[in-house]
Amino acid sequence: MSFDPATVAAFVDGELDDLTARRIEREAATDTALAAEIARHRALKARLKAHYAPIVEEAVPERLGALLVVDDEVDTSLVDRRSAARARFSGIHWGAIAASLIFGLTIGLRPWTPAADVAIDDGTLVAAGPLAEALDTQLASTQPSDAAVRIMLSFEDKTGRYCRSFESRAIDGIGCREQDRWQIERTLPGQTRGDYRQASSGELAAAAAAMMKRDALDAGGERAARDAGWVQH
Amino acid sequence: MRFEEELVELLPRLRRFARGLTRHQSDADDLCQAAIERALRSRDQWQSGTRLDSWMYRITRNLWIDERRAAGRRGVHTPIDDAVTQVAGEGAAEVEAGALRGDVDGAMARLPDEQREVAMLVLVEGYAYREAAEILEVPVGTVTSRLARGREALMFYLGEAA
Repeated sequence: MSFDPATVAAFVDGELDDLTARRIEREAATDTALAAEIARHRALKARLKAHYAPIVEEAVPERLGALLVVDDEVDTSLVDRRSAARARFSGIHWGAIAASLIFGLTIGLRPWTPAADVAIDDGTLVAAGPLAEALDTQLASTQPSDAAVRIMLSFEDKTGRYCRSFESRAIDGIGCREQDRWQIERTLPGQTRGDYRQASSGELAAAAAAMMKRDALDAGGERAARDAGWVQH
Repeated sequence: MRFEEELVELLPRLRRFARGLTRHQSDADDLCQAAIERALRSRDQWQSGTRLDSWMYRITRNLWIDERRAAGRRGVHTPIDDAVTQVAGEGAAEVEAGALRGDVDGAMARLPDEQREVAMLVLVEGYAYREAAEILEVPVGTVTSRLARGREALMFYLGEAA
């Protein structure tokens, strides 16, 4: 391996110039030690991201949201009076934001869709029903904490497909977008077996990390990929 | 977008960062509350058009450091952070790592504060080294060396396959 550990880490963090990054990618194709080191770093990042991701989806405690609600009923003694007066005309209504979010997500999940999660299509296991719907539309950054299907990580795999890892009651796995459908690549037992939960999250994150071309998509990247219909441009 | 609206959008991520720093939900929300109050008081110092997220992360992190220092002066001991620097022999460390396998919270808790905050900013929040350096008000080289040490420790505690 001709790259020092700091360079490998910088590669995984997206901190290298394009030229050096390409050299590493090329060399990793034949250097198994380098490829393993990259996978190890990616697995750590994926593991940490997956671990902390649910916090972003938690409902923000009212005491925090209330600090930023600007209207007459809120104690603005801590706030500069001038800015409070300026802001009063376009106050934020925390409840309204939460309500519209829930409304939007409910529509997105289409609860009346038939409940078969997978189907065999031409000899291939593909996502169907609510699972396909969730993979198509649901964003990890906005999904409710009790969503029937929970999207974990979205990423581009080494063959250039978009893939998404998910957890649901019946099945956990990774679906990859191919020809307008989500091919199920990895599966693990779902949430019905409580003991598996801790292990499967880690296994899934590690499996996803091994498939990734680069880091998992962030919230903006995930939204952009969804809006583009999960096809590369 | 207005100041308060941007802050509202930022809150979920800020809570995650605070949770990483403090490692406890209620402490994290107390920290977020203090940070929001500080931000509202000093909003004149924020220049519109610059990144509000970096500014808020810096406020949050500085409040946390103040809190830790105050706790230190009060004699509140935090042995867990010292554990990493006083390696009690390789055997003991291996046993500890074995017990932690799979426990991200436990592994993060064993990092010194300055490594944990860099790990949160770069590995979890996805900030570039330069951005993390600006938030922490340290040189980029300090970020990369703390990150390298933090990474190695996390990989050690979580197992090779991480």
